[in-house]
Amino acid sequence: MFRYLPEQASDFAHKVDWINNLITDISVFFTVAIVGSMIAFAIIWRKRDGKDHETPRIEGSHFLEAVWTIVPTIISIYVAAYGYVIFDEMRDIPEDAPTVNVTGQMWRWDFLYPNGKKTTGELVVPVDEPVKLLMTSRDVLHSFFIPAMRVKMDVIPKQFTSLWFRPVKTGEYRVFCTEYCGRDHSSMLASLRVLSKADYERWLNDRSDEAKAARMKPADLGKELYTQKGCNACHSLDGSRLVGPSFLKLYGKEEALADGTTVKVDENYLSSSITNPNAQIVAGFPPNMMPSFAGQVTDDELFAMIEFIKSIEEPQQAAPAAVVQEDAAALAAMSPEQRGKRIYETKLCITCHSLDGSPLVGPTFKGLYGKSGKLADGSTYVADEEYIRNSVYDPASKVVEGFAPAMPSFQGQLSEEDVKDLIEFLKTVK
Amino acid sequence: MNAHSDTAHHEGKNYLNHERGLWSWLTTTDHKRIGLLYLYSILTFFLAGGVFALLMRTELARAGADIIQNPEVYNVYFTLHGVLMIFMFIVPGIPATMGNFLLPLMIGAKDVAFPRLNLFSWYIYVIGAVMAGFALIHPPDTGWTFYAPYSIKSGSSVVLMTAAAFVLGFSSILTGLNFIVTIHKLRAPGMTWFRLPVFVWGTYATAVIQTLATPVVGMTLVLLLMERVMGVGVFNPDLGGDPVLFEHLFWFYSHPVVYIMVLPAFGVIGEIIPVFSRKPLFGYKAVVFASVAIAGVSFIVWAHHMFVAGISDTAAKVFSILTFGVAIPTAVKVFNWVSTMYKGSITFATPMLYAIAFVFLFMIAGTTGIYLATLATDVFYHDTYFVVAHFHYTIQGGAVIGLIAALHFWFPKMSGKMYNETLAKIAFVLVVVGFNLTFLPQFVLGMEGMPRRYYDYPPEFQTLHTISTIGAFINGIGYTWALLNLAFAALFGKVKAPANPFNSLSLEWQTSSPPPHENFHTVPEVTDYPYAYGRPLSYENH
Repeated sequence: MFRYLPEQASDFAHKVDWINNLITDISVFFTVAIVGSMIAFAIIWRKRDGKDHETPRIEGSHFLEAVWTIVPTIISIYVAAYGYVIFDEMRDIPEDAPTVNVTGQMWRWDFLYPNGKKTTGELVVPVDEPVKLLMTSRDVLHSFFIPAMRVKMDVIPKQFTSLWFRPVKTGEYRVFCTEYCGRDHSSMLASLRVLSKADYERWLNDRSDEAKAARMKPADLGKELYTQKGCNACHSLDGSRLVGPSFLKLYGKEEALADGTTVKVDENYLSSSITNPNAQIVAGFPPNMMPSFAGQVTDDELFAMIEFIKSIEEPQQAAPAAVVQEDAAALAAMSPEQRGKRIYETKLCITCHSLDGSPLVGPTFKGLYGKSGKLADGSTYVADEEYIRNSVYDPASKVVEGFAPAMPSFQGQLSEEDVKDLIEFLKTVK
Repeated sequence: MNAHSDTAHHEGKNYLNHERGLWSWLTTTDHKRIGLLYLYSILTFFLAGGVFALLMRTELARAGADIIQNPEVYNVYFTLHGVLMIFMFIVPGIPATMGNFLLPLMIGAKDVAFPRLNLFSWYIYVIGAVMAGFALIHPPDTGWTFYAPYSIKSGSSVVLMTAAAFVLGFSSILTGLNFIVTIHKLRAPGMTWFRLPVFVWGTYATAVIQTLATPVVGMTLVLLLMERVMGVGVFNPDLGGDPVLFEHLFWFYSHPVVYIMVLPAFGVIGEIIPVFSRKPLFGYKAVVFASVAIAGVSFIVWAHHMFVAGISDTAAKVFSILTFGVAIPTAVKVFNWVSTMYKGSITFATPMLYAIAFVFLFMIAGTTGIYLATLATDVFYHDTYFVVAHFHYTIQGGAVIGLIAALHFWFPKMSGKMYNETLAKIAFVLVVVGFNLTFLPQFVLGMEGMPRRYYDYPPEFQTLHTISTIGAFINGIGYTWALLNLAFAALFGKVKAPANPFNSLSLEWQTSSPPPHENFHTVPEVTDYPYAYGRPLSYENH
C-alpha cells in the first residue's frame, strides 16, 4: 500500500525503498489500529437515550502503559538502526569513484568532469560505475536532489559537500534544486543522463566543441553554434524564408508579432526568443515549432549567438563555417560511401537526421534506405534512390508523417554526383 | 472535585461588563481580557496568513504561470504565509489566548503573577506586528527560515522583518515567565502539582521552552541583523562566516517551537476527551510526564532539520536516534487519550469531534515523522512536499485544530453564550475534509520527489496539486464558517450559557459563565484531581 517512490535507478535505491515501505506498513498498521479502536469505542460506548450510563473509574494501567512505552521503543530502535545502516552505505563513497565537480549558482548547475570537460544543466555519467559529486556554490545555499537515485545534499558556498551513487540503468532523470535560492529556484533544474560505458567514453572524449570555442570570437562561436544546434534548419542567412525568420539584417529590425504588437529586435528579444521561443512569435510564422534552448546553451553561448546574429548584415551561404575545403584529389580517392559520409557531416544533414535511430527534427537515417512508410498527406513512400534525391532537392513535397516541413532545399548546393554519394552512404547505415 | 461552586452569585456582573469602553480594554490587566486581546490579534493574522496560502494554492493549481506572473511574488507569498502563521499566529496561539484566559481559572487564582507584565507582553506583540506590517512595503522573499547567505543578499526588507520577529520573541518570553511563576506560586489551597489539569501542565512545559529557547532565536536574528547592517561575517561565507551555523542556531529555537505550538494543544485534548467520555483521563501521570519529557527532548533534536545540510555523518546519526526519543512520549499520549474513551459514556459535541479528529490527524503527523527521523529516508524527503504535508499535519492538524477545539469547548465560559451546534458541526466537516484533501496529496507529491517552495513544477505533478488546491479552499471555508459561527453567537447569540454546560469537574467551570472580574467570589478549595469521573457519577453529587 502507498508505494509512490520514483523508479529505482541507483544500487542503494531499493534499500531506501525497503526501509521506507517498512515504515509505511508500520504506520498504516498503527494508524488503523488506534483510530479504528477509537472509532469502535466511540460507537460502542456512545451515550444512548440521552442518559449517561455508569462508567467505571479506570484511572490507568501500569501494565498497559508499560506495553505502549516499550513497543514503540523497540520499533523505533529497529527502524532507526536500519535507517542508520543504509545511510552509512549511502555516505560511504568508494575510493575509486571518479569525481565530477558540481557548482551551483543562481539558477543553474555547472559540471566539470575528470578530463576537464564542462557541461551546464546536464550531468552525464556511465552506468554501473560509482560516481562522486564534489559540490560547492558560487552564491547562496542550494541542494542537489536526484529523486531516482535517492540522493540529496546541500550545496554550500565556500565549502565542499559530496555525495555518490551508482546508476544501475541508462536513461534520463530529473535533477532539482531543493534548497530555496531566490527568484528562479523552481527553474534551477538539470537532467542526469546515464549512458552505457562505451557511449560515455565517446561523449567524455569528444571535446571538439569547447576546444574550438575557447579560442573563438563570440560571433565566430555563434556561427559554429548556428549549425551545431541546428538553427540553420529553420533560419536562413540569405534572407530566404524557411520555417522561421531569416537572420539576415534581423538585428535592429521592427518585427510585427502574431499577437498584433510589434517588437524591436534587440539583445533581449533575441535572448528570450532562444530561451522562451513561443512567447513572442513573429507574425506569419507558426508557433510551437522551435524548441526552447533554455538550459541547453550557456550564457556565453547565448551571448555568442546574439553577436553572430548581429553580424549578419550581408547575405551569406547557409553553412560556411562547417564546410571544409577538401583537396579534390583526396576526395576523388575516397569511396562513394566515404564521400557521402563527408557530405552528411559537412552539409549539416547531421543536425536533423541521426544515425542511431533517434528522431531529431527529421527522420533518422538508420535503416532508412529501402524503408517504406506514410507521408503527412496520407500517401505512402518507399525510400528508394528517386525518393531520396527528391527529398534533397524538394524536401517540402514529401514530408514524412509526424515531422515538420523544416528542411531547406539543397538545390544548387549538392550536385547529382553528391546525392549519389550520399545515397551510397545511406545504404551503409543500417 | 469538591471545590465550592459559586455560580449564580452577583448575577449580571462579569469580566466583560464590569468596565466598558475601548480604553478599559487597552488598559486592562485582567488575564481574561488580555487573552481575548491576543485572540482577536492572532485570528487577524490567521486570516491574513490563510489568504496568502490560498493565493499560493491558486497559482499551484496548474503547472505554469497562472495568477502570479512573477516567481518573486510567489516567493514573497510563501514567506509571508510562514512568517504570519508562525510568529504572529501559532506561536502565541494557544498559550497567549487560551492559556491566558484559563490558567488562573484552572488553578483557582485571581490573575497571573504579573498582570501588568502580561498586558505589556501584548503591547510588545502589537509593536512586533506593526513592524512586520511596515516590512510589507518591500516584503521579504527569504522564506520564514531566513537562511543565510540568501537572507544577507536579498534586496527585500529582511532587516525589518527579522527585527519584528526579534521583538515578537520578547512577548513570548515574558508570557512564558509569567506562566511559570503563576503556576508555581498562585495555586489555590489543595491544588497540588498532581491535581493540575493537563492543560496547565501542557502550558507549563510550553512556558519553559518559551523562556529557554526564544532567547536563542533572538540572538540569532540579532547576529543576522549585524551581518546585514555591519557586515560582521558570522554567517556570510564571503567574509569567512558559516551559513550552516545559522541553521544550527535557527533550529535550536525553531524545533522546540513546534512543541510550543502543539504541547498546549495536547493539553486541550486531554481536557476534552474525559469530559465527553465521562471517564478519568487514562494514566494522568503518564500524560503529564510525557509533556515534560517532550519539552526536554525537544531541545536536543534540532539537527534533524539538517541531515543533508553538510553536518557530519556522526552528528546526523546521533540526532536521528535522539529524534526517535520524541516518538515514545507522543505515542504514550495517543494511547492514553484513546483508552480514556474505553467504556465511557461518549457524546459528540463539537469539541469532542475536534478532539477525535485531532487524534486521527496526529497519528498521521506522528507516523510520517518517522520517515523524517530515519536517516536513509530523510535524505529523500528533506525539502520535498512530504515535509510540507508532515509539518501541516502537526501544526494545522495538531495546534490549529487544538485551538479550534479549545475555542468551541471554552466558548460558553468565555462569552457566556452558546453557539449553534449544527452550524459548528458543518464547519467541522468542512475543516477536516478540506484539510485532508489539501495535505494527503502532498504526501504523495513528496514521495514522487516534488520539491517544496517551487513556483512551478513539471507537468506530471499537476493532478495532485489541483486536488490539493480544491482541498485548501474547502479548508479555508471551514475555518471561516467555524469562526463566524462563534463570532455571531458571541455578538448576537440569545442562548445564555450555564456555568458548567458540559458537566466538567475542572475549576474554571465552577465559577459563573462568563466569570466575574476576580474569577471566584470565594477562594476555591481543591480536594481531588479534575478527572474524577466514573462510578460513582461524582459530578451529580454537586
